[in-house]
Amino acid sequence: MLKNLKVASFLAFKQIQRGSKGTLFLTIMIIALVFVNLVFLPSIISGVIETFNAQSINFNYGNLIIEPREGDQYISDIETLQKKVERIPGIVGTSPRISTGVTYFYKGRDARSTLYGINPQDERSVTKIHEHMIRGAFLSAGDTDKILMGATLAGSEGEEGGGLPTLQGVQVGDSVEVAFPNGERRTFQVKGIYETQSIGVDTSAFTTTDAVAQVLGLSDQASEMLVKTSENGQEEMYRTRLLSYAIQQQVFTFRQKAAGFVDQAIQSFEIINAISTLVSLIIAVVVIFIVIFINTVNKRRQIGILKAIGIDKQIIINSYVLQVLFIATLGALAGFVLNAGVIYYLTVNPLVFPGGPVFPVVEPATVARSIASLFAVSVIAGYIPAWKTAREEILDAIQR
Amino acid sequence: MIVAEEITRVYRMGKVEVRALKGVSFTIAEGEFVGITGPSGSGKSTLLHILGLLDRPTTGKVLIGDRDVQRLSDRQQTLFRLKRLGYVFQDYALIPELTAIENVIVTSLARGLPEAEYLKRGVEVLREVGLGDRINHRQSELSGGEQQRVAIARAIVNKPSILLADEPCANLDSETSKSILDLFKQLNDDLNQTIVMVSHEKWHERYFCRIIDLKDGLINCMRECKVSR
Repeated sequence: MLKNLKVASFLAFKQIQRGSKGTLFLTIMIIALVFVNLVFLPSIISGVIETFNAQSINFNYGNLIIEPREGDQYISDIETLQKKVERIPGIVGTSPRISTGVTYFYKGRDARSTLYGINPQDERSVTKIHEHMIRGAFLSAGDTDKILMGATLAGSEGEEGGGLPTLQGVQVGDSVEVAFPNGERRTFQVKGIYETQSIGVDTSAFTTTDAVAQVLGLSDQASEMLVKTSENGQEEMYRTRLLSYAIQQQVFTFRQKAAGFVDQAIQSFEIINAISTLVSLIIAVVVIFIVIFINTVNKRRQIGILKAIGIDKQIIINSYVLQVLFIATLGALAGFVLNAGVIYYLTVNPLVFPGGPVFPVVEPATVARSIASLFAVSVIAGYIPAWKTAREEILDAIQR
Repeated sequence: MIVAEEITRVYRMGKVEVRALKGVSFTIAEGEFVGITGPSGSGKSTLLHILGLLDRPTTGKVLIGDRDVQRLSDRQQTLFRLKRLGYVFQDYALIPELTAIENVIVTSLARGLPEAEYLKRGVEVLREVGLGDRINHRQSELSGGEQQRVAIARAIVNKPSILLADEPCANLDSETSKSILDLFKQLNDDLNQTIVMVSHEKWHERYFCRIIDLKDGLINCMRECKVSR
C-alpha cells in the first residue's frame, strides 16, 4: 500500500514538476476563485446576521424585552418589576421605556414617528445609543424639555427621506414641537442627534420618562422594559430564568422580536448562497474533470505503457488523484489568501446594509466545509477520467 | 522456459472475424535469443503480446516457468510483468516527464526496492547500455538510439526472466540498429538473458539462436541460426 502510494506520488510529482506550468497555474487560480466564492458569501451572511443581532441588542431591544401582559397597554408597578429583574443573577441592566406614536413639527415640516420616554441612566446600562451621538449630548435625568433625535428623523436641509420620516435639517439647540396622541402639544429643545445605522432607531426620538409620563398621565408605568444580560447568545436561557422568577409579563428574546425581518433576509441569503455554492462546485468539477480528462487522454499511450511495464492501474489512477489533491490544496491556500484580502478590504470598508455596516465574519465551520466540499468534488472529478483511461485495454492504449 | 500450446487469437472488427493466430505451438528454452519473423499480418506482434501478457489468446495455453499465465487475473498479470518480464517497444515508449534514470527505476520503485539499491542499480544498467553520461537527460534530449537504450535499461533493470522486444530497431538507422542488436547479443551472451524479439529485417537473423517464422497466423518454419549454448 505504502509502496504503491510512493510510486503514485513519484509519478504525480514528476508530472506536476515537468508538466505545463501555465495550465497548472490557471487551474489553481480557478480553484482559488471557487474557494473564495464558497467562503465569501457565507461570511457576508454571517456578518449580516451578526450586524442585525448587534443592532437589535445594542439599540432596539437589549437581550430580552419585557412587554405588558396580553390585553394590557402598559406594564404597571414598573419600579418593583425593575428591582425584581435586576436581582436575577446575570442581569446587568434594565431600561423601562414608554413608547408612543407622535407627530414632530419643525419649520413647517412634519414627520410621524415614535417617541420613547427613558430614564437616561437606565438606558445607558442597556443600550449603546449614548455612544453614537454625532452631535450634542445624551439626555440627563432632569431633561424634561429636551429631546434626542435620530439622524434620519433630524435629516439634512433639502434632503427628503425617501419614504422615511425626516424633518430635513434639525440642529442641536433647535426647538421641535411634538403632538401626542391625546392631542397635547409640547415643545422640546434638541439636545443631541444620534446615528446608529438602525433604521427603526434613527427615525425615532428619545426624551425622559418624566416628560412623556406627564403628558400621557402615566405613573410608574412603561410600555416595555429592555433587559441586558451579562453575555450575548444565552438569551433563551435567561428568558427561562426570568420566567422562573415569576415574571408575570410577556418576555421575549431579541431574536423573537426581530425574527420576521431578519429571518426573511437570512432565508433569502441562504437561497442565494445555496445556488452560488452549487454553481461554484459545478465549475470546480467541470474544470478539474476537463483538465484531468485532457491530461489522461493525451497520455493514454503513456498510461498503457506504464501498465505494460507492470505498474498497477490503481497506482496510475492514484497519481492523477494526487495531482488533483495538490491542485485543490494550492487552490484552497491561494483562495484563502485571496479571501483574506477581500475580507480585510471589507473590514476596513464595510458594506452598508439597512441594518448598519456589515463586517464579513469567516466562520471556521464554513472554511472547513468549503475545503471538504472542494476536495470531495476535486477527487471525484479527477478520479473518474483517470479511472476511465486507466481501465482501457493495454493494447488499445498503446497502439493509438 | 516458455511453452506455447496451440495458441489462437481471433479479433472481431465489426462483423468481420480476423484470425491473427491459428494454432501456434513452440517452446523457448532459458537463455535463448529467439527471433519471431514473418511478413506483415503474419501474427508476429500478436504472438509477442500474448507472450508478454499484454493480450490473452482466444484458445491455447502459455506457460512461463511452468506457470499457466493465462489463468492469472489482470492484477496478477500486472505483477507478473513487473517481476518476470521486460518489454522493449518499437518506439521506445519512455515517459517524457521522466529523466533517463527515472524511467529506468520506476519499475524498481514499484517493486518496493530500497532507494539506495534501485538508484545504484539504475545507474549501473544505464552504464551497461552506454548511457553513463546521459543519466539525467529527458527523452527530448536523447537521440533515437539513446532513447531505445534507456528503454532496454528499463526492461532489464529488474533482471527479468524474459526480455520481449517488438521491432526495437524499426525506427533506427542501420548503424544504431546494429548497436542495439549488439547490446541484446551481449545481454544474451553475458547474462544468459532469454530474449524474444520480433523483426522483419533479414540481417537481424544472424543475432538469433532460433527463428520462429510465421505466415498467416501459423508457424511457417522454425530454424536455428547459430549454435545454441
